[in-house]
Amino acid sequence: MPERLQRLLVIVPYLVQHPGTELAEVTRLFGVDEDELTRDLGLLFISGLPPYSPGDLIDVDIEGGRVWIRMADYFARPLRLTRSEALALYLRGTELSATPGVTEAPALDSALRKLREGLGPETLGELGERVQAAPGGRSAETLETVRRAVARIETLRIEYYAQSSAETTEREIDPEEVFFAIGNWYVATFDHRSGEERLFRVDRIRSVAATGASFEPRGIAGAGRPLYTQTDRDVAVRLRLRPGARWVAEYYEVTSEEELEDGSLQVTLPTARLEWVERLVLRLSGEVEVVEPEVLKDRVRDLARRTREPYG
Amino acid sequence: MQLLERLVNLVALLLDARTPYTFDDIKERMAEAYEQDEVGSAKRMFERDKDILRDIGVPIEVVPTDVWESEVGYVIPKDRYYLPEISFTPEEISALFVAAHSGRADRSAEDAFRKLLSGSEGGILAGVAGIPVSPEGETPEARLTAAAEAVAGRRSVRFSYRTARGETSDRHVDAFGLVVRGGHWYLVGRDRDRDDVRAFRLSRLSSDLDDAGEGSDPPEGFRAADHVQVGPWGPGEPRERAKVAFSPEVAWWATNGVLGAETVATREDGWVEVLVPTGPGEGLASWVLSFGPDAVALEPDELRSEIVRRLEATLGSL
Repeated sequence: MPERLQRLLVIVPYLVQHPGTELAEVTRLFGVDEDELTRDLGLLFISGLPPYSPGDLIDVDIEGGRVWIRMADYFARPLRLTRSEALALYLRGTELSATPGVTEAPALDSALRKLREGLGPETLGELGERVQAAPGGRSAETLETVRRAVARIETLRIEYYAQSSAETTEREIDPEEVFFAIGNWYVATFDHRSGEERLFRVDRIRSVAATGASFEPRGIAGAGRPLYTQTDRDVAVRLRLRPGARWVAEYYEVTSEEELEDGSLQVTLPTARLEWVERLVLRLSGEVEVVEPEVLKDRVRDLARRTREPYG
Repeated sequence: MQLLERLVNLVALLLDARTPYTFDDIKERMAEAYEQDEVGSAKRMFERDKDILRDIGVPIEVVPTDVWESEVGYVIPKDRYYLPEISFTPEEISALFVAAHSGRADRSAEDAFRKLLSGSEGGILAGVAGIPVSPEGETPEARLTAAAEAVAGRRSVRFSYRTARGETSDRHVDAFGLVVRGGHWYLVGRDRDRDDVRAFRLSRLSSDLDDAGEGSDPPEGFRAADHVQVGPWGPGEPRERAKVAFSPEVAWWATNGVLGAETVATREDGWVEVLVPTGPGEGLASWVLSFGPDAVALEPDELRSEIVRRLEATLGSL
């Protein structure tokens, strides 16, 4: 019940100010289904001011899929934002604006400033100075094009640098959802080259071109799914992480973790390719020990020698 | 009469009233709604209605209606009820829409956005979609809000924190600021036991934030964002620049997302020489090493020798 009332006190002012809005738009903007909406609006019809004679009641007209509300001047403006609503929108807005490559950032910043000033010091108070966005994370020049292709349901041709294999390939993808996770942008796609659903990191897309073709969406959602999908070609890599390398267990998908007596953490990392693990080991230098497979040790040795070479 | 209808009428009545209404005034005007055999039960019904309304943020105030304060009246102050007019441009409204729908479970941001809609032009959101952001699945919205409240009120807080190195300890921190970077939120403040300014990633907290009383003021000119790592060079502003050469395979990628990176030369073989900001710490050497033979550090010498030392260590450990 409180939810319905809360919703009405927000929808009614919108309809008072936007006479003739389509029902479909109201349902979309306010996240309410059409039956509920007409039921609630029907109830308004018999509400109003004393003595509740016909001239005192709120006038609701639904005609041809559009709504008009009159005689409700006292509901012409919505209720103030509660502190937690204001905070939630402000924090989420700040977060999105700090996300690299979001083209809405300038408009978002000015909207958040208006919000802070408009709501007055008692709502968002000093947060303007105390909540900050620091630049960081990778931007991706191709992000805009990819987002547009998702919206238009268009197949793209991309040049992709795969960190897992340290190779650049050309492929066609049907992009279905763009999302941001642990500091990077991803796009969930159907990949024509492999004939499978694949996630691609947008910053590793070197070039992108429209193909002009559109596709039938398969309902591939990206956000919330594990960033790494296991395959039956996977090799189990076992690494011993010393304190400086423990972040690996948080950052990558590991299938087992075991605390060892010397304070290191032994993890199993399933992977279809070893190229990226070699480079990871190189980067972690003294902080990691390769337990298995044996072939990884050989490959790291080879990679370290080749990397060492130009330094004389 | 339905509860919802009664509540709508009650809000309308009090918003329309020019003076506070006593319960008798209300009962007289909304006779059908509070029609009960017994006065006490009508009053109880009204009290329940009042609580529901307060819960959803309707500010009903109780004021004395005479100088002897023998009777009280109820009023909804308009300045506390009505959202002040804030006019947003169509671009601002769609940016707020995207933010409010950026894919988290919490609904408060969406509710806030809907209230702000009323003053905007209609029909501008056709075709605008939210962007799912999975910031750090494990940071509950409530913890972020608690951190913001601590910062807003300059409070001190206690919590349990696990460092990147896997060590967990209890912290007592004066909250100075909240910083978001690359999808991660950090609480920045003075760690009382270490007497130093530290940044705490909210996803690494292994407990809730407990309020621990008044905090303290940050030093003059304090900027919370300076205490959060911003690039491969480590925390704060970069102090120097290092020169690194990248193979054609990775150069575009290596320079693309790094703040302040500047390409200074492209060699005939396609290798690209880049100046990258650097600072104290081993961050940059790790970053260069992560490219394997596709990156070679050129300057300064300390960076080169650090890389060689680490490569030798790796070779020795196998």
